Parts: sequence; structure tokens; C-alpha cells
Amino acid sequence: MDEVEIKLNINGNVTQVKTEASTTLLYMLRDDLGLTGTKDGCSSGDCGACVVMVDNKPVNSCMMLAPQAEGTTVITVEGLEKDDELHPLQRAFGETWAFQCGFCTPGMLISCYALLETNDDPSREEILTAIAGNFCRCTGYQGVVNAVQRAAAELRTKSEDTEKTDV
Amino acid sequence: MEQFNYLAPESFDQAVVAKSQHAEKSRVIAGGTDLLLRMRDKVVAPSVLIDLRHTSLDKILVSNGVMTLGASASLSQILENSEITQHFPALQTACREFAGPPIRNRATLGGNIVNASPAADLVPPLMAYDASIVLRASGGDRALPLAEFFTGPGQSVIAPDEILMEIQIPLLVASSAATFIKLGQRRSMAISQVNLTARLSMHNSDCVTDARIALGAVAPPPVRAHSAEDALVGEKLSEDLIRMAAKKAREEITPISDVRASLEYRLEMTEVLVRRALIATWKKQRRTKTSG
Repeated sequence: MDEVEIKLNINGNVTQVKTEASTTLLYMLRDDLGLTGTKDGCSSGDCGACVVMVDNKPVNSCMMLAPQAEGTTVITVEGLEKDDELHPLQRAFGETWAFQCGFCTPGMLISCYALLETNDDPSREEILTAIAGNFCRCTGYQGVVNAVQRAAAELRTKSEDTEKTDV
Repeated sequence: MEQFNYLAPESFDQAVVAKSQHAEKSRVIAGGTDLLLRMRDKVVAPSVLIDLRHTSLDKILVSNGVMTLGASASLSQILENSEITQHFPALQTACREFAGPPIRNRATLGGNIVNASPAADLVPPLMAYDASIVLRASGGDRALPLAEFFTGPGQSVIAPDEILMEIQIPLLVASSAATFIKLGQRRSMAISQVNLTARLSMHNSDCVTDARIALGAVAPPPVRAHSAEDALVGEKLSEDLIRMAAKKAREEITPISDVRASLEYRLEMTEVLVRRALIATWKKQRRTKTSG
């Protein structure tokens, strides 16, 4: 058995973990670090329930070995809220009924968060492309599209406000 | 998943040394989106994994009329590269229709080749663009046309001590256009039932000077439809000629029935899609000419 020691930044905290080399990033997050927000749906990169940000890009954490994450910066669904306040995207998911059972939501949120990092006003088509690797099997995708557009609008207003304050 | 020793060499040279030391017992990992699946299912059980993450093998460079893509370049990197947009758009179309964004951020060009899947989406465009590959072992490099790499489903000529280092594509003359088409059960996250790329070089008055038709998922390895290509070269392009070439492509392939599609459906759709790809490519050619 090959045990490895991994140092990485998770949700803003530099973290050191000892785990087996064959552990996936997904199970390192869930079992070694107790970050159970990230879900295991298919374990084969098809469903997207395990999507997390690694170095600013959404990836399937079930398709990545823990040692491959050495030195990276990871953001999980637990890292979206700031100062005990939900991220506008999380709030919008609730307000637009973008989930029922919620199992796909952590991965869905991360894919949408990644989209909003590079596109502050995404079209319906762009949102559907961004979540092409995230399967929802109960609510459907319309609520997600609505949530992302609502959150995008809120974030745009906020950044305009910040610009005004800066002046 | 079986246990293994995980190595992350600090340079590509060190990775090549490790590969020659551990040979059959080892596997190279880059994105891991296909290998980890097969390790989980115990289809493969390497005792050593050699990770290429520190080897800087992901560079995409153009020099002396050739584009060189490092084997670890991710599909997302290929999608974002403006020189690929300019020279090899069909390769980007194939990347865009590959899985979904989280997989494209990890999956690599080299991985899609060395897996030797008959349905590999990036192989038909690369073959249509006359790509060649370079394999490196501690004894030296070996370059070969991509079409000669595959020997069957999951089978290739790579030796146990070799690592796929780079993919080279000659920059094309401006009079060439290409079209990639993928047929899958849905738009994303689907393995192809048929995938193909057609490329045409043409002179004035619609005369075909060169043609490539590369097909995936319809034969043990990805294949070129040589007799269909030959039927086009030297001829004046017409809808009748395209229909005839598409029929020839259908006669050249040897598909199987599997969970994704039946043999009959693959035969029929290959003819339809080759026709569509050739017509689309012809239209692109005309547009290029009128615009410049």
C-alpha cells in the first residue's frame, strides 16, 4: 500500500492529508476531510455530482486521484458561502426551485459558479453547455437556468455598486 | 481499485526513465478520465502509476509549418487555442462535442489516442489533418503517422517502455476545409455511434486536389475511407460525385453491433454522414473563396 502525504488549499485553507495513493480526490474530501457536500453519483465521470473546482476549473473529483491534487487550489460546495452567508448562486437555487432531492446540486452549483467566474451574463445556451456534464434526474434544468441568470443579475448589480463606491 | 505506487517525476526525461524501468507493470496517467475507470473496474491493474503532471507536456506550439501538441494538452486547452481555431477547426468541433466541461478540463489529447478506442472522437479529425505522433523511450524517439498507430480495439503499436510525447500536424494550405460530425445517443456525455471528419483541398472550379475521409466507431481501429477519397481526387465536385463517394465509404467499413448502435444503423449512417460532411466542407470551401 502506498500512503501519500498531500498538501493543498481547500476552500481557502492550506490542508495536509495522509491518504492512500489510490484514493480519489472525491473520497479524500468526503472521508479524510469530512467534506460530504460533494457527492458520489456514478463514480465514472458521467453524472457530475462530484464536480469541484481545481485550480479554477470544474473537474470530476471521482476521476482524479488524491495525489494528483497535490499543490492545487480546490473549491467545494462548502467553500461557496462567505461569512455565514450563502453565495448569491446558492440563494438563487433556492428561490427558483432549482432542486428537489438536491443530490446533483453541489456539482451543479460548482459548474455554474465556474461559468459565472468567466461570464457575468450567460445566455440560456451557455448555461446549458456549462452544465452538460451535470445530470439532474428529478427537477430538470429550467430552474437551474433561471437560478444562474438571477444570480448573474445580482452579481452584476453588486459589482456596479462596488465600482461606484470605489469612485 | 488495486493498490499501486504513485510516481510524479519532475521532468519528462525522468518519466521516460521510470517507464523503461517499470515497463509492463506501469501505466502513464495524465487526465486519468479513462484510465481510472478501467482501474476501478480492474480491467487494468498497474503496480506503478507514472503521473505526467510535472512534465510540461501540455504545450501547443507552431514552428516551421508544423503545429506540435504536447500529449498532455487538455481538450479545454485545445478549445481555447486560437491557432487551432484558425488551422484545425474540425479538431475543436470534436473537442466541443466530447463529454462535458469537467471531463474536457482533465481529459487529454494523448489519452484519447493511446487508449486506442475505436470510437475516440479526436482521432478522425487528427487523421484527416495528416497528424503524426512521436513516441519516446529511453532508447530514442519514434515518429509515425497516427493512422499506423492503431492495430485494433484498445490495441496499438506502443511498446511497454514508450510514452506518447507529442502530436504533430502540418499547417495546411489555405485552400483546405474540413468538417467533423459525431453521431451519439445524446448531445453531451455520449460515446460515438459514428464519428468522422472529411477534408477537401480544392482548386478553382470545384476541382478536388486532395481528400481525406477518416471514420471512427465503424471498424476495429479508426480508418480512412481510401476508395471514397480516390473517387473524389481529380474530379469536379458535384452532388452526384459526393453521393457516390459516400456509398464507397459505406462499402469500406466493417462495423459491429454493440450497446450503442447496430451494424446496419452504422452502415446507413456512415453513408449519410459522409455525404453531409462532404457537402458541408464543399460549402466552407466556397465561402472561403468568396470572402478572400
